[in-house]
Amino acid sequence: MAGGLARTSLREGASHEGFLRHKGFRWLKIASLVSLLAITGYAFADVQPRPNGGSWYGYSLGTVGALLILWLTMLGVRKRSMTRGRWSLKGWTSAHAYLGLSLTVIATLHTGFQFGWNVHTFAYALMMLVILSGIYGIVAYAALPSRLSSSRADMTRPQMIEAVAKLDRQLQHAAQPLADSDSAVIRACIEEDPFRAGLLRRLSGRYPACRTARALAGIRGTESEAAEAVGLLLQRKSAILAHIRAHLRIKALLEVWLYVHVPLTFALIAALAAHIVSVFFYW
Amino acid sequence: MAFLIRRVTSSSDGREIVRIARIEGDRLTIGRAPGCAIHLTDLAVALDHILVEQAEDRLAVTAKDGLWFELDGRKTAVGAIGLGTGGDIRVAGHLLRFMPKAADADDIEIHVEQVAQRGAKLDRSAERLFSLSSVLPGKRILSWLFTTIVLTVCLGFPIKAYYDRQQRAERFARFQADEIWSSGHLSQAHAGLQRNCTACHVKPFEAVRDTACKTCHTKVHDHADPFRLARAQPDLSRWQRVELAVKETFDIPPARCVDCHTEHEGPQEMAPTPQRFCSSCHAGLQSKLPDTRIGDAGDFGRSHPEFRPTLITGWTGERPTIERVSMAKRPREASGLKFPHALHLSRVGGVAQMARRLGSRQGFGKALECSNCHRPDPQGTRFRPMEMESDCASCHSLAFGRVGNTVRTLRHGDPAQVVADLRDFYQLRGPARPPTLAPMARRRPGDTLRAQEQAQFARATHAPRIGEAVAAVFSRGGACYDCHQIDRPGPASLAFRVRPVAFPTRYIGHGWFDHRPHEAESCSTCHAAAGSSSAADLLLPGIATCRTCHGGESSAKPVASSCAMCHNYHKAEGAPSSIVRRGVRGGRARAASARGEAPG
Repeated sequence: MAGGLARTSLREGASHEGFLRHKGFRWLKIASLVSLLAITGYAFADVQPRPNGGSWYGYSLGTVGALLILWLTMLGVRKRSMTRGRWSLKGWTSAHAYLGLSLTVIATLHTGFQFGWNVHTFAYALMMLVILSGIYGIVAYAALPSRLSSSRADMTRPQMIEAVAKLDRQLQHAAQPLADSDSAVIRACIEEDPFRAGLLRRLSGRYPACRTARALAGIRGTESEAAEAVGLLLQRKSAILAHIRAHLRIKALLEVWLYVHVPLTFALIAALAAHIVSVFFYW
Repeated sequence: MAFLIRRVTSSSDGREIVRIARIEGDRLTIGRAPGCAIHLTDLAVALDHILVEQAEDRLAVTAKDGLWFELDGRKTAVGAIGLGTGGDIRVAGHLLRFMPKAADADDIEIHVEQVAQRGAKLDRSAERLFSLSSVLPGKRILSWLFTTIVLTVCLGFPIKAYYDRQQRAERFARFQADEIWSSGHLSQAHAGLQRNCTACHVKPFEAVRDTACKTCHTKVHDHADPFRLARAQPDLSRWQRVELAVKETFDIPPARCVDCHTEHEGPQEMAPTPQRFCSSCHAGLQSKLPDTRIGDAGDFGRSHPEFRPTLITGWTGERPTIERVSMAKRPREASGLKFPHALHLSRVGGVAQMARRLGSRQGFGKALECSNCHRPDPQGTRFRPMEMESDCASCHSLAFGRVGNTVRTLRHGDPAQVVADLRDFYQLRGPARPPTLAPMARRRPGDTLRAQEQAQFARATHAPRIGEAVAAVFSRGGACYDCHQIDRPGPASLAFRVRPVAFPTRYIGHGWFDHRPHEAESCSTCHAAAGSSSAADLLLPGIATCRTCHGGESSAKPVASSCAMCHNYHKAEGAPSSIVRRGVRGGRARAASARGEAPG
């Protein structure tokens, strides 16, 4: 935090306070109050013949919910400028998380518990997916970053990449005397890009077709000085790859929710537009 | 003859380094093995990959078994390079250019260079490599993609479907995209409109109008005269004024059909209209419409006028006088019938005795029960009108003679026929004319025996005696007189008239009562028949009797009853819509009959 930013005052920044605990859970309290008000209103609102998104209370909750969704989306804009004070980014994020959770209550009451295979329930389902991915994001951010640093084994990311490249060069040399069948396996191992792993590989951390592991298994049968040297190098590469893959996995687990949260938010806004337009189109 | 090999490599700073080697002989080996003439340190190259041999004016190029190379861009295992033309061999990442040999030159020049850095990787930034962004499409692209898809499918297609419906008039049996806008299944009554959105949603952005409903519902009555309806409206509360203002803003007319008949609530019957929709006007109707004949009604349990059944209160000749009289006034019914319920239901006396005697044949018990005479209609809603022949005649026989095994009975409902039958009967039943009184028989004065015989025969066949017998049937103690009021003719006439008997088909025309749900109760719970000794007693229960079980909508009584349980908003005479709708659920047949086709 040194450098460009002014030193934070002791009062507000001496100890780190996560966005969830911001100002003594201020936004948790506000969001709970909002939810409670919505539930109380739902219980006492005189709507006939049954609670429904088209009743006066339904329209009210729907308006609040829609505005809330748009405001929550604004975090994407807001986060690009970091400020402090009453409307600090941390405060904003805190409000985003808790008000976003209260949306589950507001929107569910808005439905009047009427669901079906239609645009309206589709928008609701998208909203719930966005919120669920957000909840996952909060959990991931709380649990994973510490594991991320431990998975590095005191290496920076470029160092890990460099280590693999160096081992590949050494393998290239060491494998020169090998017979053609063995050298093909080593070549495959060298040509393998450890980062060419798709989403599922990265998330699961399983690499059943790992060429380094295959090369290691293949070279074991060969007995020669060169093969021994190559085997040693392959073991080292294997260890480095394990680190990289553990790192990739945690990184993927940390990032994957945003690939759901952000695009689905926009899908949700589109569905919300369709929901609102359809209601008034066929009024 | 020799090969001149020029190796070109690049230093780390991009400089070209050229190394030249000369190999004597007409054979050249290319491979990864250190002993090869051209040694390529590339794992994609086999230890002994290619053999080049000079043969006259060309070079024969042969790959080791199972291996291959590219000769002038063509993949092959065996090939030849003309010495005069030269050629390119590519093996793995290396390009070997055999330069054209000048006629006078002695050496074959070969340029060896590395053309492709196999496995060129790790040149991207470390941050990006570790991030998911390197393997997933960008969030921005995904966002645009999803937004476009959702807007197209959920908004574009349905709007197109709406305009398609405008273009084509045919019924839509197939799925149309705007159906995905439907917030729920239509009620069972409107199931046929499920695919036909524009039947009700006629114009876009216009709330459903009553005109759409009236396209099909052409016979729905207004609740009342629109002006009287408007005058009866209650004063608006502040909240209602806000509601009205909002509706006005969004161009939603007040009191639309759909305000009560809400749709898209699932494939079920429509819910009965809540009590307050009625009570808001009817609780204080008298003050709003002073000339109304309808009493104030706010809640069945607390404020509802006494029942005012429609009944026959008298007769003008053959025409009954029909009136609505409050039960509070203890109305007397002038049906024209004599019938003491008490006598018939008594557990002792002649009727009970007769019931016991006839019991085995007629299904009677120790005394008569209501159900021995009153039979429910097929729906069980009401009772069939009484029929003398089927409901009374098992005891009240009209038999007057026997011919063989056939019992002759008087014809019920036709007094002139009764008189004719009786006259005929008595004339035929008279004694046969004695032979001594044959028309041709000679009589002598002083024959007292014959005179007596003559007088006896005359007495037996004398007309006034038949008249007496006929009159007896129509008089006290006679078969007709027991139940009917008789108009006696003048002396010497037999034109007896029986006063007509009539009952209303329904006593309560503006409310609905169904006996079937009350089957668990005995008749006497509501109808005080056992104590009634006159047919003029109206045995309908008053509202107090109903209130022992029924209360208003929010009552704690066993049966909370809103207005819609008995009344219909639209002035139909049959069962209230709420009950008809329940009938639709159970089967249309029952509903149709409940709508009023049943007698009683």
